[in-house]
Amino acid sequence: MNCETCQLKELVVEPPEIREVLRSILHTILFHRALGLVRPKDVECELFDIIYVQCEDHELEKKIDEKINQFIGWVEKHPNRKSQVCISFYEVKNKHATWFGNKIERFYWEQWYINLHIVSPKPHGKSHNTKAHVVTGENAFEESNSRCAALGSSLREVLLQIINFVNEKKDHIPPLQNSEIVSFPYEISTPR
Amino acid sequence: MASPSESDRKIITRFLHKTLHAVVASRVPRLHHAAAGPASPKNDRWFHLALDDHPSPIDHHGAVMDPLVFDILLTRRGCSDVIVERWTVRCVPPAPWSAASPHHPHDGSFLRRTYKKCTILLRSIYTLLRLLPVHRIFRLLCSSSQPYNYDLCHKVLSFAAPFSRAQEAELKQYSFAPVETMLGHLVVSVQYRPSLTNFNLEVSLPTPPLIITDYVGSPAADPMRPFPSSLPDRMSHPIMFQYPPRGIRTLAAPSFDRPHSWNSASMVHHPLSSAPGPPDSELGLSLPGHYGHLVPNQRSSMERKGSSGFDESKLSPPCWTSPSPSPPTRVGNSQQSRLHSGTAPVSIPMPATENNQMHRSPNFSDPFKSLFPPPSPRSTRTDLFFRESPLKSRSFIKHEGFSPGDIHSNLHMYPAYKAIKDGRDDSGRFSALSSGGSPGYGFSSSSRQSIQDDLDDEDFSYPFAFDDVDTSDSQTRSLDGKETPENAGSHKSREAAVGILVQMLKTAAPLRHDQSCSMRSLEPNGEASISSSMMSRKTCDALEELQSYKEMKNLLLSKSGAKLQDSVKQRKESSKTLILN
Repeated sequence: MNCETCQLKELVVEPPEIREVLRSILHTILFHRALGLVRPKDVECELFDIIYVQCEDHELEKKIDEKINQFIGWVEKHPNRKSQVCISFYEVKNKHATWFGNKIERFYWEQWYINLHIVSPKPHGKSHNTKAHVVTGENAFEESNSRCAALGSSLREVLLQIINFVNEKKDHIPPLQNSEIVSFPYEISTPR
Repeated sequence: MASPSESDRKIITRFLHKTLHAVVASRVPRLHHAAAGPASPKNDRWFHLALDDHPSPIDHHGAVMDPLVFDILLTRRGCSDVIVERWTVRCVPPAPWSAASPHHPHDGSFLRRTYKKCTILLRSIYTLLRLLPVHRIFRLLCSSSQPYNYDLCHKVLSFAAPFSRAQEAELKQYSFAPVETMLGHLVVSVQYRPSLTNFNLEVSLPTPPLIITDYVGSPAADPMRPFPSSLPDRMSHPIMFQYPPRGIRTLAAPSFDRPHSWNSASMVHHPLSSAPGPPDSELGLSLPGHYGHLVPNQRSSMERKGSSGFDESKLSPPCWTSPSPSPPTRVGNSQQSRLHSGTAPVSIPMPATENNQMHRSPNFSDPFKSLFPPPSPRSTRTDLFFRESPLKSRSFIKHEGFSPGDIHSNLHMYPAYKAIKDGRDDSGRFSALSSGGSPGYGFSSSSRQSIQDDLDDEDFSYPFAFDDVDTSDSQTRSLDGKETPENAGSHKSREAAVGILVQMLKTAAPLRHDQSCSMRSLEPNGEASISSSMMSRKTCDALEELQSYKEMKNLLLSKSGAKLQDSVKQRKESSKTLILN
């Protein structure tokens, strides 16, 4: 079985934006892989003009938030770096019974790599001149707004990329193994 | 058991229905609001996507192989409908000559794969619906209670005319990967407008804005709006509530047309009520910016006895105690308004008249409670004054051009008025006001508060009995036992405008002991006292008088002391003689 890999477009993100970005991407991916009975819930991004869809499942939300917090903790220790968050779907096969226990093998059939470039916010330039400081502050505000708008546009492209990939690659998806909301076992990997 | 083709057909039919359901549910606000609630479990079962149930007609009754086109239309008032999205779902049968014609096994695996792919496709459609621009408009229409000048609706067609080249140039297209079925390839595509900024989409007001031509501003909005026509030119501080009597012009000659709360029926004969203004029909409300032009004809309203010319109920309770900006006035008076922004009206005791319902009860705590600030002790005293002398108060009512603040002054001026009761003309009783900014007896800065004090005094029998009390001078106040620190403290609660008025009166103050004594002596002949009272006094003159009195006092004391010593000596001598004898 092939393992389909999707490298999502890299996003330049500041630390306060990590949570929103990762939530929207992870939930969109999982919504397409949640082939159990799902009541979709629209979620509006706080930082961007984007609405994404979640599966109305508290366990899923909790697990995603835990992984995001884990990633944010790593970012705080390793600022200004490029990093990846990987979500993998696998099948459990070949439970080999051994003397020491059952060996469980995982066959990953799909992996999504979320590429993030974490940057620190630019500090405002200090100026003794009040007017210059105001102008500097205004420029920084405008730059921040434009950067945030650009990030929102990039995030929208990433979500469209997910839709494209999901629709183009369907044959590698294994048969449904359970009736849970997220029909396939998955894992979210963050840098350590 | 259904044949694979029948099952496939059913999957396709259900997919079409579910797709239409998903699109309409996220595009048509009307159907969104009319959603009956969660879909039935039977509908949820298909493709494992639970959508809110919607009332018909949504069902597609066309043949399975017929394409399903649903247009999302943007409707605007006065404009033609515009297609902002077009969703097309069709099952394209494979070409018979195509080598890729699938030979599908007749087991259920193919159906299961088809069903799984349709489930994933439906989720992709659901996600894309939220990423397209029109969804934002849909959310606005659904979430906001405000009416907009646009709306979204849909059309379900089996066949739709293709777009023109110009239309296609404005549209973008996105096509989902087809899902292979036994009957053909299930293709879903959407043509959408990438931007809706060209459309003038805005909130629509149910009614156009109306200009209220008879707006009567709240006194809280402009308590210090200057009244028209008659303030002395020399009064560089036009006091809003020192309503000038007739003949005294304000600097900008505002129109005394607005029926303020102080412009009650008691002000019918106010001198300033003769000022020209809009007709009574304009009584009521007006926009602030046009206030000065839309005030009612105060003359016509005020001249009607027993009728205030306006509905006091329209007047909001004045917020006299707090400074508030002046309402817009006529052109030329805006400066005065600005000068007095922050000032507040004064508690004006309205004289009771038989024709003024508002004043039937001299206790204006009742009729005026909604119109005037909470009565201060002074106003209470004034009320008592009116109660005692209704005739006097009635004569004040005839004065035109009174402001609420002027009533106090007018009360103070009553003897003067009596002396010149014919002097309703501009050169009449209020000529003192025009004399160098020192308004004379009734408006002296020193007497302003003294007037207040004495009006409050129950024992006060005539207007100027308290003239010896100068509120601006604590020493003179102390000479009059009527003045108490409590009264001084009560003045603190007056608004800033009153303070300005008082300050002005103080600076132009006449009225000291001499004047008060002269007034007392002239009480039986009030007319004679008026002439002396009309003389302007200077503060320095008053101080000189005070000093002279002090000297007299010391002299008397010294004389009395000498006399006492003499008497003591005489007693001693007499006692000595007695002892010797």
